[in-house]
Amino acid sequence: MVLIECRKLTKEYRKGDMVIRPLDGLDLDVEAGEFLALMGPSGSGKTTLLNLIAGIDSPTSGSLVIDGQDISKLSRSALANWRATYIGYIFQLYNLVPVLTAYENVELPLLLHKLSRKERHERVATALSLVGLADRHDHYPRQLSGGQEQRVAIARAIVADPKILVADEPTGDLDKASALAIMQLLQRLVRDLGKTLIMVTHDPNTAEFASRTLHLDKGRLVDQSGHATMEAVR
Amino acid sequence: MKILPFDYAVRNLGRSRLRLTLSVAGSALVVMLVIGAAAFVRSMGNSLVSSASPDNVILLGAGSEESIERSEISATVPTQLTGTVPGIRSQLNVPFVSPEVHMALAVGTRQGEASHQQVVVRGVTHTAYAVHPQVRITSGRAPRPGNNEIMVGRLAHTRIGLRPEALAIGNHLWFDDQPWEIVGHFQADRTVMDAEIWTALSDLMIAAKRSTISCVVVTLDEATFADIDAFAKSRLDLELVAMREMDYYNQLSAFYKPVMIMVWVTAGLIALGGLFGGLNTMYAAFSARVREVGMLQALGFARRAIVLSLVQESMLAAAAGAIIAAGLCLLLFDGVSVRFAMGAFGLRMDAVTLMLGLVAGLLLGFIGALPPAWRCLRLPIAEALKAA
Ligand SMILES: Nc1ncnc2c1ncn2[C@@H]1O[C@H](COP(=O)(O)OP(=O)(O)O)[C@@H](O)[C@H]1O
Ligand SMILES: [Mg+2]
Repeated sequence: MVLIECRKLTKEYRKGDMVIRPLDGLDLDVEAGEFLALMGPSGSGKTTLLNLIAGIDSPTSGSLVIDGQDISKLSRSALANWRATYIGYIFQLYNLVPVLTAYENVELPLLLHKLSRKERHERVATALSLVGLADRHDHYPRQLSGGQEQRVAIARAIVADPKILVADEPTGDLDKASALAIMQLLQRLVRDLGKTLIMVTHDPNTAEFASRTLHLDKGRLVDQSGHATMEAVR
Repeated sequence: MKILPFDYAVRNLGRSRLRLTLSVAGSALVVMLVIGAAAFVRSMGNSLVSSASPDNVILLGAGSEESIERSEISATVPTQLTGTVPGIRSQLNVPFVSPEVHMALAVGTRQGEASHQQVVVRGVTHTAYAVHPQVRITSGRAPRPGNNEIMVGRLAHTRIGLRPEALAIGNHLWFDDQPWEIVGHFQADRTVMDAEIWTALSDLMIAAKRSTISCVVVTLDEATFADIDAFAKSRLDLELVAMREMDYYNQLSAFYKPVMIMVWVTAGLIALGGLFGGLNTMYAAFSARVREVGMLQALGFARRAIVLSLVQESMLAAAAGAIIAAGLCLLLFDGVSVRFAMGAFGLRMDAVTLMLGLVAGLLLGFIGALPPAWRCLRLPIAEALKAA
C-alpha cells in the first residue's frame, strides 16, 4: 500500500530575481512499512523533502498525499494537529528540552492528545523501555550521553504512535558505536512496530540499514550514475 | 488549545540565573517606582483634600483666595458674623467660629538659629478644635494663652528638619525672636495641619505685632454657604471673601497638579526604560531558544500555546519582582514623611497603591514578553530548526 505519494513536488524560494528550487518536480511513492534512506550531496534538497513530508513546510506546487489526504491543502493549525497524529520527527541534534527530564521530554507529544495522566504514564514507560532507557526517566538531557539523548528523542518520536517517522541525519552527531545502536533501534521500529521510516543520511553504511535508498541531486531523484530516474514511482 | 505544562515555564526561569536576577530586579525597580510615585501623588493629594471638612467655610481677605498666610482681616469679623448670620453650628452656646492666624515662619531650636524651611504656625482659640475635628491631641495638652506655649503636629519635625526627639514636651522652639515651650503633641491624620505648630491666637498676634487675623473658619448647620457668602459680599467695608474649605484645598491641590504630573511622567519614563531593559533580557532569553520552539511546533504545539508559556515565564519573574518591591516599599517607605511647599505629609502604602504597583509589574511582564515571543515564533519551523 502506498502511504506517501509525491507528485511534481516543487519547493521554491525567491530572493529578488533569483529563484532557488531545492525540490524540482519530484515524484515519489513510499510504501507503508518501508524504511527509505535519502542520500545526496549537501544542498540537494534532502531536508527540504523530509520537512514537506513531515508537514512542517509547504510545497510551492505539486501534490503530497499521505494516507489518502493531500496535506499541502491543510491550514496551518490543521497541519499542526496532523503532525501530532502522523509524524514522529527525529533530529540530528536531538532537540530535547534541557529543563525537562527524559520522562517529561517523552511525555510532551502526549500532551497534544486526549489521554489521562495514567495512560500517558504507561505510554512513556513503554517508549522509554523500548529504547532501553527505563532506568533514566528522571535524568535531565545534560546527564545523558549523546547516544542516550538520541534514544530519548526516538522515544519521544514514537510515544504517540505515529504512522510515519522521519529522521534527519539521526547519527550525524554520534560516534560509531552509538550510531550503530541507534540504527539497530530504528530498524527494529520498522520491523517490529510496522513504522514507515524516511531517513536522510550521507553515510552509505547507515543507508545499508534501509530497505530502499534513493539519491537526490539538485532537487531531483537520480540513479547511481547520476541520471534522472522514474524508479521511485511504483 | 493544548497547552504546555506550567512547570516548563517555571523551570525555564532557572535556565540562566543572571537573566532571572535581571528580570526580577528590573521588575522590582519599576514596581517600586510606580508604588513610590503613586504613594507620593496619592498621599499628597489626600493630605490636601482631607484637610477640608465638607461643612466648613473660610472667610478670608479679598484678593488672598490663594493663600491664607497672606490674608489679613479684621479681628472683629467673628463677632460681626455671629451677630448677623444665624444657623452656624454651635455646642453649649459656643458657635463653631474659629478666628485664626496662619504665619509661615522660620523656626529653630536656639535663639538666632532658624530652619531652612518655613513652618506654618497657627494661632488658635479653643473653637479651632471644634471646626477642625481631625486634630487629636496625642500627648500633653493644648497651649494656653499668655505663656508662649505651643503644641506640635506629628510631622512638624520633618517640616523643620529635626529629629522627632527634638520636639519632646518641655523643649523650646524659637520663632519671632522668642522661645516657645512645647506643651503638647497632636495628630491630624492625612491633613496639612499634621505638619503645623499651634499656639494661642493672642500670643501669636502679640509676638508678631499684628492686630489682624488671617481668617475665620466656620462650620455650617442650618446656614448655607450662600448665607456666609452674602455676609461677605454685603460687608464691603470688611473686604472679605467666603470660600468652602473644600474649594480652598482643591484649588491648592490643583496648584500641585503639575508637580504630580511631573512625578508620574518621570516615573513613567524610568519605567519605560525598565520595560526596554526587560524586553532586552527577554529577547536574549527567547532567541537562544528558537530551535527548541521550532521543535515544539514540529511536535504539533500551536504558536499560541508557546506564546502563552513564554508569557507565563515572563510574568512569573515580573510578579516575583513586584512582590519583593511591594514588600520593600511597605517596609521602607510606609509612613515616611515627605516635605513639600505646603507642609509635609506621610507616605501611605495603602491597598490601592500597592495594587497599582503589582498590576504595573504584571503588565510589564506581559508586554515585555510579547515582542520577543513574536520574534522567536516569526521564523518558519523549517528555518527555526536550523537555528544554532
Ligand atoms: N529558507 C530558505 N531560503 C532559501 N534557500 C533555502 C532555504 N532553505 C533551504 N534552502 C536551499 O535549498 C537547498 C536545499 O537545502 P536542504 O534541503 O537543506 O539541503 P540538504 O540536502 O543538505 O538537506 C539549499 O541550496 C539551501 O540553500
Ligand atoms: Mg539537511
